[in-house]
Amino acid sequence: MTDYCLTGGRIVDPSQGLDEIRDLWVLGGRVSFKGNESEVERMDVSGKVVMPGLADLRGHLREPESLASASMSAAAGGFTNILIMPDALQTLDNPGAIRLMQENITRHGTICFSQCGCLTMGSRGDKLAPLGSLKEAGVVAVSDCPNSSQNTEIFARGLEYAAMFDLPVIEFPRDLSISEEGIAHDGPTALKMGVGGYPRMAEELFVQRAITVSRNLGVGIHLTSISSGGAVDLIREAKSKYVPITADTTAHHLALTDAQILGYDTNAKTMPPLREDEDRQAIFEGILDGTLDCICTAHEPCHEHEKQVEFDLAPPGVLGYETALSVVYEELSNTGKDPFGLIARLMSETPRRILKLSGQGIAEGEAADFLVFDPAARWTYNPRDAHSKAKNSLFADQELKGSVDMTFALGEKVFHRE
Amino acid sequence: MEIDSWHRKSLLGLEELSADEIGCILKQASVFKREISSPDEQSRYLKGKRIVNLFLEPSTRTRIAFEIAAKSLCADVISISGKSSSLTKGETLKDTAMNIKALGADAIVVRHSSAGSPLFLSKTIDVPIINAGDGAHEHPSQALLDIFTLQENLGSVAGKKITILGDILFSRVARSNLWGLTKLGAEVTLAGPSTLVPKQFEGMGARVSHDLRDSLADADAVMLLRIQHERQSSSHFPSLAEYTTMFGLNMARSQWLKPDTLILHPGPINRGVEIDSELADSPRAVILDQVKNGIAVRMAILYLCATTEND
Repeated sequence: MTDYCLTGGRIVDPSQGLDEIRDLWVLGGRVSFKGNESEVERMDVSGKVVMPGLADLRGHLREPESLASASMSAAAGGFTNILIMPDALQTLDNPGAIRLMQENITRHGTICFSQCGCLTMGSRGDKLAPLGSLKEAGVVAVSDCPNSSQNTEIFARGLEYAAMFDLPVIEFPRDLSISEEGIAHDGPTALKMGVGGYPRMAEELFVQRAITVSRNLGVGIHLTSISSGGAVDLIREAKSKYVPITADTTAHHLALTDAQILGYDTNAKTMPPLREDEDRQAIFEGILDGTLDCICTAHEPCHEHEKQVEFDLAPPGVLGYETALSVVYEELSNTGKDPFGLIARLMSETPRRILKLSGQGIAEGEAADFLVFDPAARWTYNPRDAHSKAKNSLFADQELKGSVDMTFALGEKVFHRE
Repeated sequence: MEIDSWHRKSLLGLEELSADEIGCILKQASVFKREISSPDEQSRYLKGKRIVNLFLEPSTRTRIAFEIAAKSLCADVISISGKSSSLTKGETLKDTAMNIKALGADAIVVRHSSAGSPLFLSKTIDVPIINAGDGAHEHPSQALLDIFTLQENLGSVAGKKITILGDILFSRVARSNLWGLTKLGAEVTLAGPSTLVPKQFEGMGARVSHDLRDSLADADAVMLLRIQHERQSSSHFPSLAEYTTMFGLNMARSQWLKPDTLILHPGPINRGVEIDSELADSPRAVILDQVKNGIAVRMAILYLCATTEND
């Protein structure tokens, strides 16, 4: 195992109260601040930021992606721990599927993968999955994302039951009765295009349902992929009353609006849909004031041929691992304040806390789990020579601000940009 | 012929056209309308060109009008309907289109239930694409023949008040007419129940009214749209009977109109639902003129698009 010395980097890890320029060693796969000049590979990272490896709360392991390509794609984006949602290559609603996935992770994964089991069987919403057995098989959370149990009784019982095992529940808030055929946000853009059907209401009604259930049962819920400004308001109010909920949005909902779907670009079809600028601004404010706790990627690979069809027939979903950090960095730089402490909380510390993952951040003796980010870099993301096997990105061929130069996970250097 | 302001190979919608471009099609249509009425002068402008009608959704008027228009220009016409196409065998629209191109089509007229599919085709293959109706997005040839008919009867549409009544939300005809008419200076009111005529249409330059009397009172023309009951979930209004009771244009309500107000309908008509049978057959209704004008307008569209040279 190669030992490294990273010199001159700015180390930012709010979980350790760290924000200073100092040298960092990786010796035998572990972090050290007091290495010596012995046999190490020296790397000058001055001007760059060393942050704890990112953790993602929502990624779909779908074809054409494999565990190997997902590992590479995540590592290239600075992610060292990704959560596989239950609609994976096999549906994660039984212990056998979890164990099989775990074997494949052990064989092909170069970063940490966590598994999210189904809340209900097949995520169909009509019968609870064996949550206790799933937990024993290794899941760290349960969810029906990108579905949501439409039956409130099953949803509430599931939450109550999962709480017994200290198993976080991730809810993708969507009232299907008002959005079943929805392919775009119901706004002026979609109206003009003759599409739509997925109003803010669909999300807000189920955010309110989650808040009500959480308050009444006194159990926590994590709401994922918030896209509506009204939902941000509901969450803010609930948090002010100490309802134990947490919430995330996606990098693309922070950065983009439904203007992206003009021209019927199927790669702009996301789940939930991109909404209007007022929503984007509310999400931005929600990030800054702590209403939204973290940012996920909602990474969802699709075959190219699946997306090269009529807009209403194309599956929703966009890639996220390789672009999320640059996108979030660019957005949060616009505040004029240094964004790295906030980014480390939004994309590493808080997601790990929500999933109750172990790991101590960048600390003496801990396994190396960090990334090196070059804030001055400008790079063009080209999905054709990227690491994911899919190409369905919202940021294809766009110049992005700041790039991941290097990623360490599980004590090893798993990515180094050429 | 003055076609200087026409440089497009495809007609995807009226939103993207300028008033000049719309004027260019309408002017060309009136030339063809005169030619049709003197059968000795057959236009041979598209002799040797192959026009493919790709109709993946049911259509009578539009498909036949495009066929007659193409034949009147001496083009070879091949019509493919949804049921007879390979799309029912699982072939994608992209592959179907690439095959049609490989078979030597000079233009494709497409009708599809998916909004945006003509744009998708025009990006996929380098063949002129003419939109014959895509989902709830646009139906440019219908709006052009509607405007042509209005101009024949009203002179210019500039400053005229046009009311479009009915299922606006799901209507590509309404959207195309709204773009076309407003570009030519008409004042467009969209009328009907609030669930089918959301206020957000104001952002597209229309006045929105849910008051039938108010929307009919000073209209120079009323365009009725069919209630597409097969398309909607039943939740947009209680029933067809309720619609007829509240928004149907009957003889009594026609008294609210000015005496010379024109009545248009793109068809197919549901007699006794959105319009009284008697009213549909009255002299102020120009519904069959619309159908006839559809041929000249579609000749103009085919001629202009299929003869535009590559840049």
